[in-house]
Amino acid sequence: MSVKAFELVPAVERDLLMGDKARINIECIECCGKHLYLGTNDCFIHHFLLDEVTTSKGKLSYSAQKLLHKYLGLKKPVAELRAASALERLIVLCDAIVFLVDMVTLETVPSAAGGGAKIRGVTAFCINENPVNGDPFCVEMGVLSSKRRTVQIYMVYEDRVQLVKEVNTPEQPCAVSLDGYFLCLALATQYMILNYNTGASQDLFPYSSEERKPIVKRIGREEFLLAAPGGLGMFANAEGVSQRAPVNWSESVISAAVCFPYVVALDESFITIHSMLDQQLKQTLSFRDGHILQDFEGKVILASTKAVYVLVPLPLERQIQDLLASHRVEEALILTEGAQRNIPKDKFQILHKRILQQAGFIQFGQLQFLEAKEHFRKGQLDVRELISLYPLLLPASSSFTRCHPPLHEFADLNHLAQGDQEKVLHCKKFLISYLGEVRSTEVANGCREDVDTALLKLYAEQDHESLLDLLASDNSCVLADSVPWLEKYHKFFALGLLYHYNGQDSAALQMWIRVVDGELQDSTRSDLFEYIVDFLCSSSNLDLIWKYADWALRKDPTKGVHIFTKRPQSKHLSELNPDDVITHLGKHTMALLLYLEHLVLERKSQKEKFHTHLAVLYLERVLSLLSESPRDEEQITRARERLQALLRESNLYSVQVLLGKLENCEQLLLERATLHGKLEEHDKALHILVHKLRDFPSAEAFCIWASCSRDCAYRQRLFHLLLEVYLKGNHTSAGGGVGDPEMAAVDLLNRHGEVFDAVRVLRMLPEGWSLQLLRPFLDRSVRASMHACRTSQIALGLSHSENLQLLHDRLKERKKPIYVSEKKGCHLCHNTFSEPDVVCLPGGVPVHKHCVAQRVRDSPTKSQLTNSSNHT
Amino acid sequence: MPELSKMKKPDVKVVLLGDMNVGKTSLLHRYTERKFKDTISTVGGAFFLKQWGPYNISIWDTAGREQFHGLGSMYCRGAAAIILTYDVTNWQSLSELEERFLSLTDTANHDCIYALVGNKVDLTDPKAHQSQDSDVASEDRTDSEDMRTEPQLPTPPTSPASLSGVMLQKQVTPEDAAALYGRILRYKGLDETSSQPAEKMCFETSAKTGYNVDSLFEALFDLVLPSILRQRNENQESPTVDLEECRGSSNKRAKSSCC
Ligand SMILES: Nc1nc2c(ncn2[C@@H]2O[C@H](COP(=O)(O)OP(=O)(O)OP(=O)(O)O)[C@@H](O)[C@H]2O)c(=O)[nH]1
Ligand SMILES: [Mg+2]
Repeated sequence: MSVKAFELVPAVERDLLMGDKARINIECIECCGKHLYLGTNDCFIHHFLLDEVTTSKGKLSYSAQKLLHKYLGLKKPVAELRAASALERLIVLCDAIVFLVDMVTLETVPSAAGGGAKIRGVTAFCINENPVNGDPFCVEMGVLSSKRRTVQIYMVYEDRVQLVKEVNTPEQPCAVSLDGYFLCLALATQYMILNYNTGASQDLFPYSSEERKPIVKRIGREEFLLAAPGGLGMFANAEGVSQRAPVNWSESVISAAVCFPYVVALDESFITIHSMLDQQLKQTLSFRDGHILQDFEGKVILASTKAVYVLVPLPLERQIQDLLASHRVEEALILTEGAQRNIPKDKFQILHKRILQQAGFIQFGQLQFLEAKEHFRKGQLDVRELISLYPLLLPASSSFTRCHPPLHEFADLNHLAQGDQEKVLHCKKFLISYLGEVRSTEVANGCREDVDTALLKLYAEQDHESLLDLLASDNSCVLADSVPWLEKYHKFFALGLLYHYNGQDSAALQMWIRVVDGELQDSTRSDLFEYIVDFLCSSSNLDLIWKYADWALRKDPTKGVHIFTKRPQSKHLSELNPDDVITHLGKHTMALLLYLEHLVLERKSQKEKFHTHLAVLYLERVLSLLSESPRDEEQITRARERLQALLRESNLYSVQVLLGKLENCEQLLLERATLHGKLEEHDKALHILVHKLRDFPSAEAFCIWASCSRDCAYRQRLFHLLLEVYLKGNHTSAGGGVGDPEMAAVDLLNRHGEVFDAVRVLRMLPEGWSLQLLRPFLDRSVRASMHACRTSQIALGLSHSENLQLLHDRLKERKKPIYVSEKKGCHLCHNTFSEPDVVCLPGGVPVHKHCVAQRVRDSPTKSQLTNSSNHT
Repeated sequence: MPELSKMKKPDVKVVLLGDMNVGKTSLLHRYTERKFKDTISTVGGAFFLKQWGPYNISIWDTAGREQFHGLGSMYCRGAAAIILTYDVTNWQSLSELEERFLSLTDTANHDCIYALVGNKVDLTDPKAHQSQDSDVASEDRTDSEDMRTEPQLPTPPTSPASLSGVMLQKQVTPEDAAALYGRILRYKGLDETSSQPAEKMCFETSAKTGYNVDSLFEALFDLVLPSILRQRNENQESPTVDLEECRGSSNKRAKSSCC
């Protein structure tokens, strides 16, 4: 594949140069801006002004205007010309002499007083374009002389030349090029690199300069292009290493130059153009009698013996587009990037971006997604260019239109894939990953809606798991476009999320409810019901809750009630009024019960209403279970246990209400007993327990429970009451009961003897009871009363002695006055005294009356120690 | 393919040397493009850049033709590994290595690694008719694009032997190669005990079937890693290269000045 990279444009026609003098030949050229100098074989220098003209057809042409010509007076051909524009001098080689000529007048510069302006015996010279010495008013020059095996380094000034260095070479050098300190030399049998500063040298490769004219061309910083055996153009850097593969010229190549990225070479009949990037021959132009090819500041100029031409590179963009058209992406990009230096920065950036984007699309078309992505990224592609390839992905509301001229040749994805579904799928997968990556970057700025909507559509269509993540997080999906799409792909759950994200919770719930109810099919979430409950649970919209809670409760009251019971306590959520909830839960008994349990048991509500309501519900449940047949005893037991627990533990419910409901129920005697207990109608309770239920352990437990937060006297009263009930009721009960109340009485006494007042018990007990029967009780009673008697005697004694002590103190203190002043503080409160009434602590310490009173109240133990005495 | 690579600077250089027609270009093709295709005798040289982990390795394919012989030492300058290639069906190609190519390697790094590769074993050894397991595995490993490329092209008959299916006489045995390897070490003034052993550095390959080709390159790349690291370190120390230091024995001025 070839490229048209250059065009050959005539610059100075034969007529203009020599008219009809047929023997005149061009020997050398120099071009410096618009100034073109030609040296001829008859020792003339011609000076032209070369103007670029763009024709009406947009083609470039040159018009040359002759300014001057001058005979140098040596009768020999002008061998070489070099401009030193900063010095306004031309360096001329003619008749083996180097001398200086004024650039404008073409007059030879006379030697200055201090030194010569001529070098004799020169075969060739070169200018250092990259001198180490940075003086702008002199030019560094490498000179080969015909006699010695040396290279001389000269400094050229306005009016003189000065030898600064001379280095020896192993053989006679015949061509030279210079960069920094590095001389690149063609010797008789080889090329070499020579550092004129250090003298270090590096052989490159053998070349017979006698056989073929060597080429030594500096092409860039420390890099040279050399003619090698077999018609090769070899690259070598200053270290003697080849970093680019050689290009393949013909054997007869005369000269060569680099016009990045091309190597241009001239042989007897052709100009060949190779790319340095892939070493391939890109273009061949036929050119007869060519004998000069040189580049001047990027402009390649050729000359035959009679005329001058410019090798004009075709507009870069056209070359690049040609390359892109043949899908040579890398070449196109390298060409573009290589041109960076030659194009204004902003223009380059636009061009570069566009080429990157085009390259990306070419690679995209070849399914080279990695490369494509990289180029899209670097080229800052408007993602919508890519999205718009996929039919229907951009939202209808998008204002996007593809850029013109188009970045690619594809109408759309189907056109690109030519019906290959696998290809389509690959492309979609790529877009998914690409959009996923860019949606949160600046790439998506200004088109977030388009990107997110496209992504949503792809996710839905491809059944991609990230659909939900997209919708659950910040997104800009366009609702109008997304709804039908999600419906089409049965993504109803996702659609609900989208509604929710757009503040349409009601629509979301309706969608989900239809899925749960089986009206719509979407298996995204198997726990969608729970999800809805959760959703309502944390919804801030009360209307919504009231509206949809009913449905949830009907569907599953146990889970549905979580809407109310699991509602998070947070500032952002308004509290639900429990009364409202209860009203609302009205007919959902089960849920109501759970809710009340939540209020009473978990949230420890202190409202009588709720406690009563819950107790009533428990009771109703028990009653309804009892009325079932057959009965489920296990359930009944559980239900009763709950009821009983609540009746026992809560103090808030209305006992009367419950009692009213239990009045006629003979099955729930235990519960009734508890209620009586709550009313402190202990006799009724015990009566039920002992005589109706004959459940003595419960009766005993009742006494303990009913007195558990009371004092001993209260408990004693209860136990006595129980004892009485046992004993009194004896005759009323039938003999064949499970247990005998009388025996229960004995057990009670023997077990809880300490609670009873033994004297009263003895009075109550029937005459006929044996002592043996009551032995444990009596033992304990006697021991207890003995103990009490002795303890009180000790206490009495101690009190006596304390009393005496105090009397003694009092007597002692009476003798001296007790000083009370406003400056003295009370030992207990440390405030001063304001009135004369004080109390003296033992030892005569005065304190406030109220302080002592307080002290006595607070610590009853100490009251016995602090016997107060009034004192004035 | 290699266009892109020109932009990156290689970390290390591997050079293929050997007489013309031994199959250097074919080996490089096989390795980089996983195909055996028609070649024309290489002009000058060419190179390919291989991404090896974080490193860029440039592999230079040189021309075996006598005409380009002089360029060889320039290609070898600074090389970290040199693959000396011969044709197992051609004794001459082995002796050329010693007579003509060995001296070109004088410009290589002092720690350069040398591999001796006898190519075209498919012509002499039936076992080389399938590419090795490792080769298949590595084909899997390379990017999936490779999997999509059309099945291997039927290779054009390249020699009478493959036409008739008759095996050719093997002219170079592995022992011959090992012996040459020993002589190379001696030429380099290297100690056999401290250098890579011959078994490790002598390969028999077939660019045509792919036999042993990946193993060859991968083994070499692994061996040049230390060289890469060393070079990176050196570059950190002195970013510019002093010619004085890399002045080789071929420097005539240096020679003359010392006596
Ligand atoms: N049978 C067989 N033929 C091969 C093999 N390798 C290369 N060839 C053939 O040998 C010939 C030369 O191969 P090239 O790869 O061009 O050889 P080269 O070493 O690059 O030659 P130059 O570039 O001239 O130095 C071609 O016809 C190839 O088809 C191989 O492994 N087996
Ligand atoms: Mg080759």
